[in-house]
Amino acid sequence: MIVESRVLALPRANVDTDQVFPGKYLSLISREGFGEKLFEGMPGGRELLASKPGARIIVVGDNFGCGSSREHAVWALVDYGFKAIVAPSLARIFHENAYNNGLVPVIVRDPQAHAACLAAERLSIDVANETIRAEGCEIARFELDPLKKEFLLRGGFMEYLASKVDTVRAWTRRRVS
Amino acid sequence: MPQSLFDKVWDAHVVEELPGGNALVFVDRLIAIEITTPQPAAEIAEKFADRLFDASRIVAINDHVSPAKDTETAVQAQALRSWAKRHGVVMYDVGANGICHVVTPERGYVEPGITLVCGDSHTCTHGAFGAFALGIGSTAQGGVMLAGAIIMQKPKVLRVNVSGRLGNGATAKDLALTVIATLGFKGATGCIIEYHGSAIEALSMEERMTLCNMAIEAGATTGMCEPDETTIEYLRGREAQPKGEEFERKAAAWRGLKADPDANYEGVVEIDAAKIRTVVTWGTNPGESVSIDGAVPADADAQSLEYMGLVAGTPIRSLALDQAFIGSCTNARISDLRAAADVLRGRRVMIPTVITPGSQAVKRQAEREGLHDVFQDAGALWTHSSCGPCLGLSMGVVAPGMRIISSTNRNFPGRMGAGGRVHLATPVVVAASAVLGRIATPDELPAVQAETAAANR
Ligand code: SF4
Repeated sequence: MIVESRVLALPRANVDTDQVFPGKYLSLISREGFGEKLFEGMPGGRELLASKPGARIIVVGDNFGCGSSREHAVWALVDYGFKAIVAPSLARIFHENAYNNGLVPVIVRDPQAHAACLAAERLSIDVANETIRAEGCEIARFELDPLKKEFLLRGGFMEYLASKVDTVRAWTRRRVS
Repeated sequence: MPQSLFDKVWDAHVVEELPGGNALVFVDRLIAIEITTPQPAAEIAEKFADRLFDASRIVAINDHVSPAKDTETAVQAQALRSWAKRHGVVMYDVGANGICHVVTPERGYVEPGITLVCGDSHTCTHGAFGAFALGIGSTAQGGVMLAGAIIMQKPKVLRVNVSGRLGNGATAKDLALTVIATLGFKGATGCIIEYHGSAIEALSMEERMTLCNMAIEAGATTGMCEPDETTIEYLRGREAQPKGEEFERKAAAWRGLKADPDANYEGVVEIDAAKIRTVVTWGTNPGESVSIDGAVPADADAQSLEYMGLVAGTPIRSLALDQAFIGSCTNARISDLRAAADVLRGRRVMIPTVITPGSQAVKRQAEREGLHDVFQDAGALWTHSSCGPCLGLSMGVVAPGMRIISSTNRNFPGRMGAGGRVHLATPVVVAASAVLGRIATPDELPAVQAETAAANR
């Protein structure tokens, strides 16, 4: 899978999930229409989005997605159309949620490579080979969790767990005895 | 190999190793709340014949907005309710509920050595009991509902030793904010924080919960305290705990659940409790805090300053407030309310002040002690239990530009209402600040006339 698009750059660190998707919308039980609320909690957030129509890759600062565990934040990014998020680091729960919803979590720790991603007009992310290219040149490599990469590319997180039910049950029986 | 407290709990729950350094980890307890449960419940009903791994391991609680405030929240609460009923899941609902991180411990559903998850980031609160307690997303919660387990890589463990004793009016909240400032707002990312030391041993369970509640605000996976007699006495007699000999058998096992003396940690941080002072946040994340005697720092982040409407160098005590809130899973247990009442007894608040108990059980206890009279005589609003304005959902949300002092755990932009400016503090500081209309401590308040105090008793 290759994700290629223009880049929305959001260089700020510590953007929390309240800014990505405000708490006041948590009472919605479906997952639809969340894209319309994306970044509503961030000062200037909607304007930023409007400045880069068609962007499918978002490059963000350190510790993006901290705070509330709300998966709604990832649902909103995906519903808006984002396919990949590039960051020096992602908060734990957000990172996990990204894997489970097909939003490619691309961790680029090297400051120079990250800066290059932020500055790029377009990026091309090769998910299978774990490389990022800009204007035809490879500018960074990244690593995905080999197990979660499967869920990311082919879905099936719930199916995988369903296949483990018997193993878990057998374990609980051993545990009691 | 010598093990940390976390290592022991982890090892006792690994069902099997999975590719990529992951493990399938058994979950003893799931707290299912209305915000994050309906989506996975619908998916399982649709694709997996509505199967549930073990209903007896789940506690359902309507907590974030309860009772419902509009059609959407009513639909959400009803979705949880009907799911719980269908599966025979025990449920705490309107009248018997409250914030899940307050209700679950007070009913005895958390205990040392268990794994516990919930679709809420402040699930780390329960680590106070020596449990491995972790906030997860909705999809991962679906996995727990279906298979009773989560998939994760083993986190590292950071040891925070807090020696000495808290003094000078400093509370567990001040300790929590100091730990975050020491480690940095994301300083514990990828790690569990294990709290050790004489100052931690001296804390009550409610104080330990306040401390662990904020572990996530340092980026930690969760926080944990070693179980001891304080833990055991707290749990004795609670609703979900067995009685008599069976309880004593469990307690004996809990007594043995300690970190090995020479266990290895990713890092060790030493904090001297005696040096901790009352702190208040000035910025837009919980790591941006300063002593209440201090000023907005000279090197403060420009964007934080702009959002908060502050200039560097402004004394914290000079900041005028528009509203005050005491509530949340951090600081709305009975000890917090008692502390706030001690400040408000015989006094009047100058700004709109909302006081929201952490659970209905806390509310009833407070009313038995007459605290509701103290609060209302002071001119504060005493509400039923809820998350309320903590996440900008109900009962006291602030308007853009309003400055609120709050006993909650997050001061992110927009957290308590779009454009609202949040200062995090202890219940005592919130109460004193409500009286003076600016950030303050109780020692600044004029003495209460003896007869006024008596009349308010
Ligand atoms: S009180 Fe606040 S932090 Fe705690 S669970 Fe409720 S919304 Fe979350």
